Amino acid sequence: MMYIRLKFTKGGEVKYISHLDLMRVFQRALRRVGIPISYSSGFNPHQEISFGAPLSLGVTSNAEYVDLKLAEPMDVKEIQKRLNNSLPDGIKIINGIEIGENHKSAMSVVSHSRYLIRIYAKNISSDELKKKIEAFAAQKDIKIMKKQPKKDFELIEIDIKPLIIYMKLIESDNDKYTIDCLLVSGSKGNLKPELLIKAFKEFSGYDIQNVRINREEVYGSKNGILLDLLEYENTQK
Amino acid sequence: MKYDNIKEFIYEELLPNVEKPGRYIGTEWNSVHKNPETADIRFAFCFPDVYEVGMSHLGMKILYHLLNDQQDIFCERVFAPWPDMEEEMRKNGIKLFGLESRDFIDSFDFVGFTLQYEMSYTNVVNMLNLAGIPLRSGERGEGHPFIIAGGPCAYNPEPLYDIVDFFMLGEGEEQLPELMEHYRRWKSSKGTRDEFLKIAASVRGVYVPKFYSVDYNEDSTIKGIKAISGDIPGKVRKRVIKNLKGSYFPDKIVVPFIDIVHDRIMLEIFRGCTRGCRFCQAGMIYRPVREREVEELVEIADKLIQSSGYEEISLSSLSTGDFSKLNELVERLISKYQSSRVGLSLPSLRIDSISLKLIREVQKIRKSGLTFAPEAGTQRMRNVINKGVDEEDLIDSVGAAFESGYSGVKLYYMIGLPTETMEDIQGIADLTFKVVDRYYKVPKEKRGKGLNVTASASSFVPKPFTPFQWEPQDSINTLMDKQSYLQKAIKKKQITFNWHEPYVSYMEAVFARGDRKLCEVLIKAWELGCKFDGWDQYFNFGAWMQAFKETGVDPDFYTARRRELDEILPWDHINVGVTKRYLRSEYKKSLKGELTRDCRTSCTGCGINLLQEGGVCK
Repeated sequence: MMYIRLKFTKGGEVKYISHLDLMRVFQRALRRVGIPISYSSGFNPHQEISFGAPLSLGVTSNAEYVDLKLAEPMDVKEIQKRLNNSLPDGIKIINGIEIGENHKSAMSVVSHSRYLIRIYAKNISSDELKKKIEAFAAQKDIKIMKKQPKKDFELIEIDIKPLIIYMKLIESDNDKYTIDCLLVSGSKGNLKPELLIKAFKEFSGYDIQNVRINREEVYGSKNGILLDLLEYENTQK
Repeated sequence: MKYDNIKEFIYEELLPNVEKPGRYIGTEWNSVHKNPETADIRFAFCFPDVYEVGMSHLGMKILYHLLNDQQDIFCERVFAPWPDMEEEMRKNGIKLFGLESRDFIDSFDFVGFTLQYEMSYTNVVNMLNLAGIPLRSGERGEGHPFIIAGGPCAYNPEPLYDIVDFFMLGEGEEQLPELMEHYRRWKSSKGTRDEFLKIAASVRGVYVPKFYSVDYNEDSTIKGIKAISGDIPGKVRKRVIKNLKGSYFPDKIVVPFIDIVHDRIMLEIFRGCTRGCRFCQAGMIYRPVREREVEELVEIADKLIQSSGYEEISLSSLSTGDFSKLNELVERLISKYQSSRVGLSLPSLRIDSISLKLIREVQKIRKSGLTFAPEAGTQRMRNVINKGVDEEDLIDSVGAAFESGYSGVKLYYMIGLPTETMEDIQGIADLTFKVVDRYYKVPKEKRGKGLNVTASASSFVPKPFTPFQWEPQDSINTLMDKQSYLQKAIKKKQITFNWHEPYVSYMEAVFARGDRKLCEVLIKAWELGCKFDGWDQYFNFGAWMQAFKETGVDPDFYTARRRELDEILPWDHINVGVTKRYLRSEYKKSLKGELTRDCRTSCTGCGINLLQEGGVCK
């Protein structure tokens, strides 16, 4: 028995595949290259694979995580090498570590995600946008209507202000801008960056187009310090 | 906003707005990507339905890799864009594109459709329009792709005669490469479009409708069908591969990202069927029976498992239980893959050939539901359709299944069969009850929990090249009466009853045995908005009726009429091997309730052996 956590990218080529699709991609890639994945017991045994925080359709990422339970030990570098020969374009394992049997699942420790949001907006200056973002983030509350998938997509109003740790303009080039933001993510609260942009659009009235979102990192919080999900397990040892 | 090219625009601007962008990605594992610049022949393999359906089709998987294995051919997949995607495409002036390259297919050499069911015809029309390709063969000129079509519905090609340039009848594994070879030569000779059509017509199994003329009698029946010149074959003979042994099968298949209808390896164990069920078109048109050898099948399975990573293999054929070495194959596959947890499924098992042992073997790995197809409720009716199965067989088989712990079975029936009476309908309910009773005879501790019997009743559609090709179809009202009778008769909490919309079955019946006049109706229906007719939410019967009205074509002419046995049928110039004489004799026997034996026991003289391959059915 061995537990592994892998960090991988989800590039533009596969940004439209869902969390469930991604699960199948990994299941089949693992089978193709003969990685001795462990199976659950029970009537319909399934591979013991679990992912970190789900990523919205259309969002790319430099930092996705997957936990694997192996039936027999295998070198992590070897797993990484084999999988990279077997994964479709856009998915690449960039790092991996062995984790202890008593690790917390990647899914359960996620508390924050950092995103870079690239947008295109005409007829505004960089300064203006910068101030607008500051004003947006400085509001007392930020109310937005949100669909609830579990309740027939019924709309409810929520306040996303507590879910925004920071949001700032970090780059501008002609009419293209990059916004950096750190948002609450995971089971205790979750703000999708698309929703943040929607709220900002409504607030600013800007004609924002070509929104491209990339997740830069996913964190778990330990004693108030944010650690990426590999560091999180490394320090626990 | 600026995009370097249209491909990026499609990807970045259209896909975020559609419900399932995964349908249009095109970079699935094992998909083939070539440099369009170096491909001499661009081929769009079109399945006129949504991705999840089309990707489940075995024929497409085979031919996609067959074509791409030739270096100078770049074959891409194209499915019918779902209406949300179509709307985005039309709004933004994006034409239909190949999934792999995202190039518009109107500049390709071939646009080939596979015709699996009649209700996809409007999608063929819609896809051509979306591609910016003129709908009618006569409106296309030099530089347009050749629009070709194959698949089971191509055996009666007439309803699409004015749309498709030529049809390819029969099996494509040898025919397509042969056609491509002709095309290479024609292309380098810089010949005219008509010249190529002439060349194509000389390829065995190719039907070029414009080279045939059809005359009609005053009562709208056909007076004659003939080739317009002496160098065109008077009858088009379907193409068959002589031997499956060593015939092409890809060693890899595209593994989709999104969930599709049949998301597993389909291992074709044999072609054809010798049972001779009289309603079944597949049983006639796919003759002769040819098996693959166990050794080769295990080898193919091995390669496919390695290259795809799939966790399930389904043995594919018209009647799995008839495979002569089924036990050996199942045992070998199971012993080989049990440790790597590859499941095995055996669809299309006939109820008289299912064995308890096989059920148990398969169950070792994964448990799936069991399906039985008694087709009719009474012995009399089953004799008429030559479904040589009796009640005892069925009850024994479901009994064996229940005793091995299964608690879910599906039963397939048809209603509206020739000579059917209300007694036969009642028989469906009675037989289903007997299945339920059989379950309760199994000791409680032995049987699986929670019995669920699903009974499905589809409406019979008479098909060309079957013994029932002369028969009328029940009217919509009659079918509805039978359905509602059955619905009441079969009510029981352990039974789920499913039925099909009779309106759709009616339309299927019109087109299955349609003639050239239906081509106008089809285009009109499409103009009135018909598409995705196989999907309840899009099927629009009212629009179809209006299309008939506007074109002056009476649909009942095709469905409600009992044809004379000597009538010239719209598909009489197509030779599928099985002769009209044989079908006639089968038809007459059916009306007397006489059975015809399985032709594996001894030849029943269907005529397939007269094709030049010689049809030794084994």
